[in-house]
Amino acid sequence: MNKKGKSVRAKERRAGWIFLTPATIMILVMSFWPMIQAFITSFKSGKGSLLTWANPWNFNYARILQDKIFITSLKNTFLYLIIEVPVMLILAILLAQILNNKDLKFKGLFRTMVFLPCATSLVSYALIFKSLFATQGLINQVLMNLHIIHENINWLGTAGTAKAIIIIALIWRWTGYNMVFYLAGLQNIDYQVYEAAKIDGASPWSTFWKITVPLLKPVIVMTFIMSINGTLQLFDESVNLTNGGPANATITMSHYVYNMAFGQGVGHFGYSSAMSFVIFIMVAILAFINMKVGDTRD
Amino acid sequence: MKRRLIALLTAGVLSVSMIPMNVFADDADAPTADVSSEDENTLSVYAWDANFNIPALEAAEADYQKNVNPDFKLDIITQSGSSDVENAVTLAGQSSDYSNLPDIVLFQDHYFQQFYVSYPDAWLDLADADIDWDDFGAEKLSYSTIDDVHFGVPVDNGTAIMAYRTDLLEEAGYSIDDMVGCTWDQFIEIGEAVYEKTGKYLLCMDGSGNDLPYMMLQAEGESQFTDGEPTFATNEKYIAIIKDIVEMIQKNVLYLGNDWSDYTDQAIIGDMVAGVLNGNWIIPTMEQATENSGKWEITSLPTLEGGEGYASNGGSSLYITGNCSKPELAADFLAKTFGAGSTETYDAALKNGGVITCSISAGESDVYQEGVDFFNGQPIYADIVEMGANVPVIEQSDYHYQARQYVGTAIQNLVAAGEPTDESVAAALQDAQDQLSFEMAG
Repeated sequence: MNKKGKSVRAKERRAGWIFLTPATIMILVMSFWPMIQAFITSFKSGKGSLLTWANPWNFNYARILQDKIFITSLKNTFLYLIIEVPVMLILAILLAQILNNKDLKFKGLFRTMVFLPCATSLVSYALIFKSLFATQGLINQVLMNLHIIHENINWLGTAGTAKAIIIIALIWRWTGYNMVFYLAGLQNIDYQVYEAAKIDGASPWSTFWKITVPLLKPVIVMTFIMSINGTLQLFDESVNLTNGGPANATITMSHYVYNMAFGQGVGHFGYSSAMSFVIFIMVAILAFINMKVGDTRD
Repeated sequence: MKRRLIALLTAGVLSVSMIPMNVFADDADAPTADVSSEDENTLSVYAWDANFNIPALEAAEADYQKNVNPDFKLDIITQSGSSDVENAVTLAGQSSDYSNLPDIVLFQDHYFQQFYVSYPDAWLDLADADIDWDDFGAEKLSYSTIDDVHFGVPVDNGTAIMAYRTDLLEEAGYSIDDMVGCTWDQFIEIGEAVYEKTGKYLLCMDGSGNDLPYMMLQAEGESQFTDGEPTFATNEKYIAIIKDIVEMIQKNVLYLGNDWSDYTDQAIIGDMVAGVLNGNWIIPTMEQATENSGKWEITSLPTLEGGEGYASNGGSSLYITGNCSKPELAADFLAKTFGAGSTETYDAALKNGGVITCSISAGESDVYQEGVDFFNGQPIYADIVEMGANVPVIEQSDYHYQARQYVGTAIQNLVAAGEPTDESVAAALQDAQDQLSFEMAG
């Protein structure tokens, strides 16, 4: 009896491994192998296919700190991160709270509307924002007709407004995505908890802070990590909305990595790989801090 | 805790490694060649513009079929843009597997030097081809020649044209004769008058790919590079040119678009300008503003000290790839069509695609002498071929586009900083030069 049970478990385990194997091999070959290759490449220098071992070995990594454009792109990316992520997550949690209301009518319609931006492709929504904010675009026309402005504003050609538009675009695109996670999290909170709070006389404000937020904490940590990760690797918006301009005022780190590798024809693949790994380390450190802060178990 | 961290790191690495992979995913759908399955009379070629260079290739195919080999077939594989061809060469060179390249590629001249340095195995030279190289403008050939060995056969002509709206000039009290051989200072003065009277800019350019510094410096007969090194900040003419550009933007003489479509669709087609300066391939774009037909005329560039300036920008040539299965047929095809200044090829290329030759003998054909209605009956094709012969040969660099990028950034910074001085321009150019030297050192 005992023996038989064991062999069933062993069989199950084997079946599990067999199911896992194809995906594992694919990930190893398609993702981990290129990563190792990229890591090796990051110690090489030269153009195009003419790569030689960098001398000294940390040549590419040492260069990064002296690269003014990389520093600019780093500052830009962190500016997006610091402004966009909190605003977006707060909006998402508020929307989720509103849409979770039991008495709300047309709930499905509203949820779909908020989530719909996520269904648009990154490139097409960037292009739509670009035409909205073009010098002869819709936004300028509306503002002109309302007599708020007297001449067309070059939104994407001015450093400050171009950054603001990228942030607005990001919030539009990603708020609904995060809201879905919060909605799912909220549905896992038993309604009785809220009822009990109501009986105890808690205000909606303290209900939100004392019940909703603590119970949603794992979801909040997850969305934070995902947003930080996503923002540090921001690429499409910078490329398609502003092409990094004006004068690199909106370029992101990933965009600069791409420019160095492919942007101007033939690239510096060693240097680009080194920058990719620096971004990777930054993501890892930020995620680690985030988890330490968010983890209440230890 | 630990497991979560590992999962997280894995996710992080995965997404980082996605960055370069996306790029290749983009052109996964681009049609590719398979030279191994072609028959002995077929050549494949990559080209990208159905309204421009593809009719030129079709003309050459018909010419070769008629006069040399009736069984010849040119398999023209249309790419969505010139960058598709560049990506195809990058992909092949980076993987050291050239088997997906066609026999011949149409390639942008400004990119060739860079791609030759990076992927020398991707190209076959034309040292043995029977081509009269003296028949071509020397400046055009300087892009495709490396250590005196020719690699490319010119298709089009990149000669820059300075086009003016004569009606708008008149409205401001000037004529095109005032513009021929004027100085840039006079140009700015007239530009201010034109903007004041008509609300149109006398010049326009794409701010994210600003070709003005290169063309204006070439019109002075100088290069941004000396012996392979960038010399922006020490060249007084270059400083004067950049200062003029910044002033032109600040005085509403020059409209600097945010990007290419802003430049073409809004500035040129959207009728915001009274003047256009670029390679003559910009003409089809100008002609899309049909309501202005007959009001344009073209001439040479202004210069710093006065006198007519000549420059060139862009254009492409045909190159035989390292994957070519029939190099002799390819060289013979190129030598007897584009390379021979064949009027049959070039006349049809001009009529069907608006491709202007830089072959001097082909430019003498009757088709080139005809007046063009859009340009007030001016025989612009003959004029362009003639101007092309005057373009000074200057040092080319495989860092051409990087230089454009860094100088373009310097200009945008200067415009934002207020009135330019010689010192502030020199400092901004020094920054650009340092950044480029930094990149070149990698």
